[in-house]
Amino acid sequence: MNDHDLDTLFAQARTPTPADEGAAGRFLSGHRQRRTRQRNIRAGWISTLLASAAAVAGLTVLRPAPDLPASAAYGVYQSAWGDGW
Amino acid sequence: MRALVLGLLALSGMAGASDMDDLLSALKQAQTLEARGVVEVTVLFPPRELPTKSAKALPRVPFRPGLLARNFGVSRARQEAVAGRPATRFELTPKNTQAARWTLWIDQEWNIPLGYQESFPDGTPARRAVFQKVNAPPVRVQVAVPAAPEGLRAALIAALPGLRLSAGVQPTAVKSRPNGGLEISLTDGVNVFALVTSPRGVRAAPGIASRRVGTGFVWLVGNLPQSVLDQALARVSRVDTAGLGTFLKVDASNAQNTPTLHKETP
Repeated sequence: MNDHDLDTLFAQARTPTPADEGAAGRFLSGHRQRRTRQRNIRAGWISTLLASAAAVAGLTVLRPAPDLPASAAYGVYQSAWGDGW
Repeated sequence: MRALVLGLLALSGMAGASDMDDLLSALKQAQTLEARGVVEVTVLFPPRELPTKSAKALPRVPFRPGLLARNFGVSRARQEAVAGRPATRFELTPKNTQAARWTLWIDQEWNIPLGYQESFPDGTPARRAVFQKVNAPPVRVQVAVPAAPEGLRAALIAALPGLRLSAGVQPTAVKSRPNGGLEISLTDGVNVFALVTSPRGVRAAPGIASRRVGTGFVWLVGNLPQSVLDQALARVSRVDTAGLGTFLKVDASNAQNTPTLHKETP
């Protein structure tokens, strides 16, 4: 293949064909659909995470604090006796 | 016959008064004179990992003579030797039969305590400190039990309406707790009780009553039957401790409840 053949081949490759028409539009359309799908999936996860965090926070705040161990009361009693005991 | 009975009754009363006077005299002497040596200290209530330890002097008991005379009967028991020294044993019997009873051993020569024992109502020891070895002579000390603030009892009843305190029990000090709430020390002259207001409850255990009141909790801790502790808190209708603020000690240490040792000379 000589230089002329190569030039002809490149010229053919640069010439738009019917298949090239609307390719950019098709790509953009598909790209947008994929982005929307990903966004929806991500939004679903974030919503789930936020809901879980809210549930945990709500339980933490609303649930009564557990009772202190008996040693907390005994410590106060012992301190009322003072040092040495 | 009637005269004989009256005479015996009078003698009995005089003996009781005399025993009380002798004991109070020894407790007064203990404010300025203290024995040293080896003391075995055992505390079974509240329970602890190692109930017995050794000390060089008796731990302090914040005796309050006025309340002691009001709330306890005192009788002189037999003479006993403590760490080889002749001592007189005094039995303190509470007028409130559910309170803990005490035994004190007083050195006959020095007229100061050589041992104490707090007993459960069934007679088993709850707290005991007795000399095993005594060094002579005793050392000079200056010990003072801070007076209970005037008006504290009324303020406490106002802060916790419905609190049932035995007539002979007096609050002696108030201090704040690090995570909110107050600790109020109570005494009947010998025994000590702890009343606590707290944002949190405390697990049930012997000698502890805890009750939810409003958004917080009230605890009462002491060597009393569980039913007595529960009943003391059963009718507390609210907790408003604002009126106790004037009684709060700035220093939240135990110093306000502990007899103060000012100086000591051999």
